[in-house]
Amino acid sequence: MSKLSLKNVVGRSDISADIRAICKELDIEIWIEGENGKVLMGSPTEQSSSAFPISFGGETLGWVKGHEKGILIANLVSHLAAKEAEKKSLGAEVLNLYQEINVIFNFSEKLAETIEPDAIARVTLDQAMHSVPSGGGIVVLWNDDTGQLEIPALSGERLFNREKIRKNTSLLFKIAFSGQSEIINDFSVLREKGIIEEGVQSLMYAAMKVKHRIMGAIILAGRNADQFSAAHLKLTVTLALQSSSAIESAMLYERNIREVREREEAILRIHEVTKKFVPNEFIRSLGKDVITDVKLGDQVEKIVTVLFTDIRDFTTLSEKMTPEENFHFVSSFNARLGPIIKSHNGFINQYLGDSIMAIFPENPEDALRAAIQMQRAVYDLNVERITNGLSPIKAGIGMHTGPLIMGITGDESRMDAATISDTVNTASRIESLTKYYKSPLLISQDTRQHFNGQFHFRQLGRVRLKGKHKLLNIIECIDGFEQEQLEKRLSTLPNFNEAMSFYHEQQFENAIEIFKLILAKDPDDQTVKFLVETATHYLEQGVPEKEPGFS
Amino acid sequence: MDKKILIVDDEAHIRMLIGQTLEELEDEGVEFLTADNGASALDLIQSERPKLVFLDVMMPKMNGMDVCQKVKKDLAIDDVYIILLTAKGQELDRQRGQEVGADVYMTKPFDPEVLLSKAKQVLNLS
Repeated sequence: MSKLSLKNVVGRSDISADIRAICKELDIEIWIEGENGKVLMGSPTEQSSSAFPISFGGETLGWVKGHEKGILIANLVSHLAAKEAEKKSLGAEVLNLYQEINVIFNFSEKLAETIEPDAIARVTLDQAMHSVPSGGGIVVLWNDDTGQLEIPALSGERLFNREKIRKNTSLLFKIAFSGQSEIINDFSVLREKGIIEEGVQSLMYAAMKVKHRIMGAIILAGRNADQFSAAHLKLTVTLALQSSSAIESAMLYERNIREVREREEAILRIHEVTKKFVPNEFIRSLGKDVITDVKLGDQVEKIVTVLFTDIRDFTTLSEKMTPEENFHFVSSFNARLGPIIKSHNGFINQYLGDSIMAIFPENPEDALRAAIQMQRAVYDLNVERITNGLSPIKAGIGMHTGPLIMGITGDESRMDAATISDTVNTASRIESLTKYYKSPLLISQDTRQHFNGQFHFRQLGRVRLKGKHKLLNIIECIDGFEQEQLEKRLSTLPNFNEAMSFYHEQQFENAIEIFKLILAKDPDDQTVKFLVETATHYLEQGVPEKEPGFS
Repeated sequence: MDKKILIVDDEAHIRMLIGQTLEELEDEGVEFLTADNGASALDLIQSERPKLVFLDVMMPKMNGMDVCQKVKKDLAIDDVYIILLTAKGQELDRQRGQEVGADVYMTKPFDPEVLLSKAKQVLNLS
């Protein structure tokens, strides 16, 4: 607040006009001088008989000189000066309060824009340093997660030593976590420990707390003695308390976000793992999005194509390997075939050692195309094996199309994704027939009927599955053979069909004759070789009564 | 005293606050005038010709926008610098303030330092 100036009081046009009017009324002549003798109003006459002081609070602000009744004017102006002083003092107080409100208003606005705890600490310190004349300041915060005292904000001159603070946390702890807010007079210990610089003459701190929990403190320092007033402390405490709630909320927010993210990541990891055990397609077939939605008893029935594949003579093959080599071999085999199944809209329902059970829920063509590609993949694998001095492997693929129930079985504590269907058994059985017919890829008539001319098949025969009355047509798909073989099979296909007609009619001699013609063109046709052997056997021994597949 | 500042606000404490904020200008010979409504403000602007007017927007009788419009547009008094003051966040007012010819638009609560430095700048005082 600026000093009360007599010039400003009598200089006001309304006041000076009133004084002139009174003098005129009293018919007197006066002039007013300031304390330094400078004339502020009126004109001095040569004879200065009387002089009356204008005073306020024991101080003389100036003089009314001239007429003896000038005392009335001196008293009036003294009174006006007192009023003016009172008004100024009141105004100063109101302005002070207003400035505080303005500080808090601006601060609240900044807080509202900040959601990160360290940033809030920095905003708080900036505001404190701006509102309270201080040389330097820090904010210390206790971090519950790390169990350490942290300094998220440090500002102004280097009055605090960050390293020393870290080394002497217990000392600062006493101050910051006393829960008190005060202007400290004796801070010699802090100075001795080097926490504050030599030049610091004033120190003040305000606790940051929510309810009764102490979070930290704002500490301000200055180079002048008695730099901080009670009003400064009050304002700093206000800032500290406001920022405490904001930091608390921000920390809570951060923690919540972190926990939610961690939970989401954990769930995602679980999903990633579980879908390797129970395929997504299986879950989706049950009308669910994620495995956590699945419950005991969930089931769905649909027409699917089930594909089985396994490595022929695996037992013989595995005898030559250590268990580890064995495992590695099966894994690499599965790793080649798995992606083919997936890329043809199928999913692997089960890995059963050296065999795979896959389901193609959409259409049989997916399954057959996958099987053809798998057969070629085995061929490529064999090229590599032979190059590496290993013996080639043979794999059989069999498939069948029919109804299948997919569901969750087990009990509440141990559930499993299961397929219950005769279709599975049939597909498995067809796969096992690949050894019998010495063919790598066999399908049932139920699968075959879905195709029209886009693939090439050979009808091999009819079999009766265990416990079944109905005969099952077994059909070989030859599209999976490599090019040279495929061309030979295609060129002999009319002969083959003719031979099979004789064969089914038990005209084995005719059948054998044509089969031999085929073998002359295509000596590698193992299936035909097998049929020749069988036909020869039937020719010599006769067809057993219960042998299926003969008309 | 040829440098006059007119403070117009219907709230006495705001008039006092602005006066107090600008108190130090008294020593530079600046005279302060006050008005608590728009009509008186208009009279004072015409009779006293203040250099600077702090004009509250929301006032009875005649609001600050209308006073400003009258002064700047109708009376075409262009040697008066008018600072409109209003509560924070009334964005529509800002545009209207420009339309009626206000020189500057400030929001309440105002920052005393900003207010003082603006007054010094307008009156060419250091």
